[in-house]
Amino acid sequence: MDILANLSLGFSTAFSLANLFYCFVGVVLGTLIGVLPGLGPVATIAMLLPVTFSFQPVTALIMLAGIFYGAQYGGSTTAILVNLPGEASSVITALDGHAMAKRGEAGKALATAAIGSFIAGTIATFLIALFAPPLAEMALKFGPAEYFSLLVLGLVVSIVLAHGSLLHALGMIFLGLLLGIIGTDVNSGAERFTFGAPWLADGVNFVVLAMGMYGLGEIINNLEKKDKRDLMLKSVSGLRLSWAEFKHILPSVLRGTTVGSFLGILPGGGAVLSSFASYAVEKKVAKSTVPFGEGAIEGVAGPESANNAGSQTSFIPMLTLGIPSNPTMAIMIGAMMIHSIQPGPSVLSEQPALFWGLIASMWIGNLFLIVLNLPLIGLWVKLITAPYHLMFPVIIVFCAIGVISINNTEWDVFMMAFFGLAGYVFSKLECEPAPMLLGFILGPMMEEYLRRALLMSSGDFSVFFTRPLSATLLVVAAVAMVVVLMPSISKKREETFKE
Amino acid sequence: MSSLIKHPRDFYAGLMYSAVGLGAIIIARDYNMGTSVRMGPGYFPTMLGGLLVLVGAISMVRSFFNKGEGIPAFSWKEIVLVLGSVVLFGVLVRGAGLVPSLILLVIVSAWASDQFRLKTALLLAVLTSVFSALVFVKGLGLPFAIIGPWFGI
Amino acid sequence: MMKKTITALLAGLVLAAGAQAAYPDKPVTIIVPFPPGGSTDMLARIMTPKMSEKLGQPVVVENKPGATGAIGATQVKRAAPDGYTVLCASIGMWAANPFLQKNLAYDPAKDFDLLTVAVKSPNVLVTNPNVPAKDVKELVAYLKQKPNKVTFPSSGAGSSDHLSIALFWMLTDTTGIHVPYKGGGPAIADLVAGHAEVSFQNLNNVIGHIKAGKLRALAVTSEKRAALLPDVPTMVELGYKDMVVTSWQALGAPKGLPADVKNTLHAAMMAALKDPETAKKLTDPGFEVTASTPEEFEKFLQSELAKWKHVIEVGKITLD
Repeated sequence: MDILANLSLGFSTAFSLANLFYCFVGVVLGTLIGVLPGLGPVATIAMLLPVTFSFQPVTALIMLAGIFYGAQYGGSTTAILVNLPGEASSVITALDGHAMAKRGEAGKALATAAIGSFIAGTIATFLIALFAPPLAEMALKFGPAEYFSLLVLGLVVSIVLAHGSLLHALGMIFLGLLLGIIGTDVNSGAERFTFGAPWLADGVNFVVLAMGMYGLGEIINNLEKKDKRDLMLKSVSGLRLSWAEFKHILPSVLRGTTVGSFLGILPGGGAVLSSFASYAVEKKVAKSTVPFGEGAIEGVAGPESANNAGSQTSFIPMLTLGIPSNPTMAIMIGAMMIHSIQPGPSVLSEQPALFWGLIASMWIGNLFLIVLNLPLIGLWVKLITAPYHLMFPVIIVFCAIGVISINNTEWDVFMMAFFGLAGYVFSKLECEPAPMLLGFILGPMMEEYLRRALLMSSGDFSVFFTRPLSATLLVVAAVAMVVVLMPSISKKREETFKE
Repeated sequence: MSSLIKHPRDFYAGLMYSAVGLGAIIIARDYNMGTSVRMGPGYFPTMLGGLLVLVGAISMVRSFFNKGEGIPAFSWKEIVLVLGSVVLFGVLVRGAGLVPSLILLVIVSAWASDQFRLKTALLLAVLTSVFSALVFVKGLGLPFAIIGPWFGI
Repeated sequence: MMKKTITALLAGLVLAAGAQAAYPDKPVTIIVPFPPGGSTDMLARIMTPKMSEKLGQPVVVENKPGATGAIGATQVKRAAPDGYTVLCASIGMWAANPFLQKNLAYDPAKDFDLLTVAVKSPNVLVTNPNVPAKDVKELVAYLKQKPNKVTFPSSGAGSSDHLSIALFWMLTDTTGIHVPYKGGGPAIADLVAGHAEVSFQNLNNVIGHIKAGKLRALAVTSEKRAALLPDVPTMVELGYKDMVVTSWQALGAPKGLPADVKNTLHAAMMAALKDPETAKKLTDPGFEVTASTPEEFEKFLQSELAKWKHVIEVGKITLD
């Protein structure tokens, strides 16, 4: 019954007045920056780091962690309401979430996201409490070969994202992969496709791309439809979920939590895949009454849970091994060191109050988030029923400020305008942006791991097949490929029969 | 020519893929290719460029056989005003400062709507920019001048 | 405007030191040419509270990342030399970029008024515990036995650990496979997991793993032994007297700073770095506070430039 003793230590730490207060401050700030595009958790935590100097170490970490998972939570709000995904994981939420909003079900979508995230956060918190050390050891089994195979699987799965033409999905994925290559090559340090422009040396920022393609592109699209949009949103139905609806989404939430918890542990970019993977799972498994891409509630419940579970479990390698799984965790490690705590396996044994207090605070933070967010839904929904001609300039303002604040350069603003045009043209050609964004995220990682794996094996391709984990992933990818292609092949057959 | 294209969307999308793919291949010729076991920086982009050209070609060929709807007309006024307002903001924000450039952004972009009224737009512009200055500069500490150096204050 | 002039005049009168004594009369910006959260960013943010206290004006950190610090550094070079724009950057921007980046738009030795080398941190030669080498001698033998087979992860092509690896190969006459990563975190993760074998890393990034037995420390590259690892010898002790590598962070400003502004700024930096509380925030994560004078920085920069020029040229390190 060690776990009970540990958790009670954790909760007694987390329930101190200061810790509760700063946990609250953290999640509120996190929600705020999650809702606003551009300003991400990394920059916010870096800016607030000096403020935490005078805190107890555990208090500082509780607040900084709250900012991180609060931001994940808030990110879905703008994606659902105005089709503005502020980070990679919200791209998926935007697909069906915004479609729901357009149908007048914004409240339901937001409630689904909030409840799904809470359940996922709770389960993931207990996973960390129970299995953190063995899970971290498992994450270390992933070397470059395994990551490459995982990304291949991710890419195959991404084809599922498209609900239009398979050929265009492929085209958009390749386009995204190529776009992701812009910038400095990790393996050689060479600059590629930068045309000598220093502002391209670090590549295209995801937020710039997403704000342009989704935000601006969508605005121009809405404007040309004139005032149809306002009418559509006037008929807002249901702000909360009925018990039947809750029971209906619960399986999706649990599947998403499983997928997200597992992928979140992997330090090399597994977390990014979690919402994509969960969406693919839902699309294949869930029996939705509405087609995916047109407002399926499962398409919100699964990925949102996966995303939140993943953001919780990404703490595992940081807390138990001192290995950062993403830039936010890297800065958390920095924060620990400033507070004279040596991150690494010894944290668990030498600082049990800190370790368990942080974990307990995550659950409390999740509770704060849902208590905070459920009442806000009504307000959000009111907000989007405001006349569109007053709302869209404000959206553009937030996009512009968000984008310029990332790297502090106006070039990003110009690039966003360019991607806005591209997004508009794509919509005219019926090319969907979601596969492109996944390609954009996966492209650089795939190349990096492929080349690293080959570099380390001195050019021996067999590493991908002789390492059991990598081989398994590739087999799964092959099976997935067949499953993905099957419907389109059979559809083709149907078409031929028709003619 | 255009009578041959039965599926304009497939054709132009294919043209776009092929053009981008070809461009990538040409630019990547300056990068070290390496070998398939020790890939240089040019290897991956060249391969991707080739795949894009292939997808583009299939899409274009297909457009001569499959029938599809035409491409809807572009709404140039909306494009120019929305994207123009963003570019204008980028050009002005350093010199003019956050508030003046946001006011222009809001007014120019609001003009893209057919329900545009100068008075409402002005009010919206002032409210939004003051709110942004308070939240982003005062509150979150982003490094922008509220009123820029061009105004000499 | 009027009010400001009067305040400035009053300040001048009170101090009886002429008009320029008014510096600083507005916030000072420290440009960090790297993203928020890195060690340079952290240094700047730890220093700012005490600096603003000393200067009587807010000191704000502005991140201007891109091209290994080149974008931010170029921006500072072009800023007015009035003491309101300061650069805080690392060894890569100051000493390695000139020999690695082809179209570099700044010259570290000529375009800046050098202020202080704020901190240094020693690198440590670490291996995964499964590598069958208990000390540097055995490692050299191991590398000679498996030429071009042992993997050396670094935090990026052209990074200070990449350069350390190249210097090590040169001095010990060995070879290996250099495997660049995107930052130190993932490189260390693969080192701990055993996917990669040997590396030089900032002491502060690996001390936890060394203490936990997940990594084995063979040597440190500072001149003296590190306080945190008293039992680990220096490379100099082992007979490699040229293998002295520290990564460091330093501050400068655009060339042409008025002498009194330069003194005020430097004094503010010293006040911050020598403040016991601030110093503790720096030494706990493993920095060594150097807080040098501008003259010492000048000399140090020249020697670092010469050293890395040599390593990069002889080691044939290029970014393509």
